[in-house]
Amino acid sequence: MDGERVRFELFIAARYLRAKRRQAVIGIITGISVAGVAAGVMSLIIALAITNGMQRDLQDRLLSSTAHVDLMRIASDGISDWQTLLARLKQQPHVTAAAPGLYGQVLVSRGAKSGGALIKGVIPADERTVSGLLQQVNQGSAAALEKQGPIAVPPIVIGKDLAETIGAVVGDTVLVTSPQGGLTPIGIVPKYQRYSVVGIFHSGFYQYDSTYTFMRLADAQRLFSEPDLISVISFKVDDLYKANEIGRQIEAAAGQGFQTTNWMEQNRELFRALKLEQIVTFIVLGLIVCVAALNILIALTMMVMEKTKDIAVLMSFGVRADQIRRIFLFQGLLISVLGTVIGLVLGYGLSVFGGHYRFPLDASVYSIDHLPFAPSITDGLLVSAVSLGVSLLATLYPSTSAARVLPAEALRYE
Amino acid sequence: MSKTLLDVRGLSKSYATGRGRLDLFRELSFEVAEGEMVAIVGESGAGKSSLLHLLAALDKPDAGEVYLDATRVDQLNLREQAEFRNRQIGYVWQFHYLLPEFTAEENVAMPLLARGTARAEAISAARRWLTEVELADRFSHRTGELSGGEQQRVSLARALVTQPRLLFADEPTGDLDNRTADVVFSLIQRLHKAHGLTSVLVTHNLEFAGRCDRILRLRNGGLSQTPAML
Repeated sequence: MDGERVRFELFIAARYLRAKRRQAVIGIITGISVAGVAAGVMSLIIALAITNGMQRDLQDRLLSSTAHVDLMRIASDGISDWQTLLARLKQQPHVTAAAPGLYGQVLVSRGAKSGGALIKGVIPADERTVSGLLQQVNQGSAAALEKQGPIAVPPIVIGKDLAETIGAVVGDTVLVTSPQGGLTPIGIVPKYQRYSVVGIFHSGFYQYDSTYTFMRLADAQRLFSEPDLISVISFKVDDLYKANEIGRQIEAAAGQGFQTTNWMEQNRELFRALKLEQIVTFIVLGLIVCVAALNILIALTMMVMEKTKDIAVLMSFGVRADQIRRIFLFQGLLISVLGTVIGLVLGYGLSVFGGHYRFPLDASVYSIDHLPFAPSITDGLLVSAVSLGVSLLATLYPSTSAARVLPAEALRYE
Repeated sequence: MSKTLLDVRGLSKSYATGRGRLDLFRELSFEVAEGEMVAIVGESGAGKSSLLHLLAALDKPDAGEVYLDATRVDQLNLREQAEFRNRQIGYVWQFHYLLPEFTAEENVAMPLLARGTARAEAISAARRWLTEVELADRFSHRTGELSGGEQQRVSLARALVTQPRLLFADEPTGDLDNRTADVVFSLIQRLHKAHGLTSVLVTHNLEFAGRCDRILRLRNGGLSQTPAML
């Protein structure tokens, strides 16, 4: 198939498409087909830009709140001599920051109200290098966690949702009860300690805002009766998408009995759900393109019926059946390409516009204050391929039936 | 004596109808010499157009053989038939059958464009042929802007633009008034002579048939040959 012949078929197809129709309804259906493909492609580009934006926003906020890699003991027996280990692991390639932490489950109460919480004992200066939660304190301040030495009522920073659950505000005193109490003749007795709420953070993640609670590492060690032990070393790494590989390097460097988890593993279900949402969106909105393709099929089938005599004439002077097939195939593709290009321009245009003008959202409902748009070139390519592919399928029947016209039969009764 | 260009041997064609098969013609045999202009006449329904379809590889016979020189036309496959129609023959229909979406020059250039000739070259050839059929001022006119006689002349230019070895014309004047029909038939005659064509024409008009070299008369499924009267 040389270039001139393809140009001949494109020439005929384009002229047929532009020409005023004897049957106006074919022109109307062709217009609807173009509009349908454009609407489908535009909707897909915008919807995928929003889900991408949501995912990116979620990921950014998640990564600003959480460490990339956490190292802990397989036996959950705590990390001793952690200062030496921490100093050594900070030197590992790809590690940009590391911080110690001591986790423990507690009950936080204020008066009759209480809620379960996960205490994280931290050294604030180190913690800020691996997690952004302490930077997200928007009521009070986390500065009190910097103080050294014993304090009668030690400081604590709690999440917004936990604060609401127990009705605590900055300045209140809360009671923290740890099940890891001391051993007495009557068994293990839970340990109680009063803390002063010095700050309330809001990350936008319910999981963090409802359970995470920060206190000084020394206070946590006292509460859990674990002097000089930590339960985790958290890391920031230079390539967050290689967190898995870097985590394995850290494990190897830490020695026997250690394991790591990373941000991807910890949030796998969340990202899987987002991916699933994106696929469902693609399928649902892709149906618009399928309906448009059905219009292409109808328009082309009617056009073949209208053009049967012309097809026979073309064949009578030597146009081959495969050329006839390509004429109608190109017509379908031209409709699809036109619709796809219009859809891409509108889709990307509106996404860029939406990103620029930041459509407001109710932050208390969606945890973000504007609709995020992140249009992606890959999505555009995928959507275009699907649109053109579906349209191509729609052209198969009419183009094949056009190629089956018998010139002598078609012109016999004219 | 001129060499035989078209050789038809024992050609038969029938059609299925609601009341069984209808024999159009049986065992037709004739030859057309190079440079000859032959008229096929006969009553309506005698099978003249169907015969032309078989000769032009637009249809297949039930039996018999059609040769154009050494080419066995009746045994060509679909691709070869298309190639044959594009390179060996030109065909003029009773109705002009021009494509209304295209200009006169585009219609004429179409057979060349279909075979892959560059557009500029094809349009240039089309303009030469439109000039030959005295339509030099109608290059970019759409077919709807042309009169019936002009449309048929464009159709004639389209049939000849590929410089075919054989021109078939199926009642080329049948759709025209007497004066225009005469103009068109005279033009066919002139071009036939000027370009040394070999032509086979189907016509109802015995006067036009008489202006040909030879007349083939289709009647009751058979063929009789008579020399032209005029």
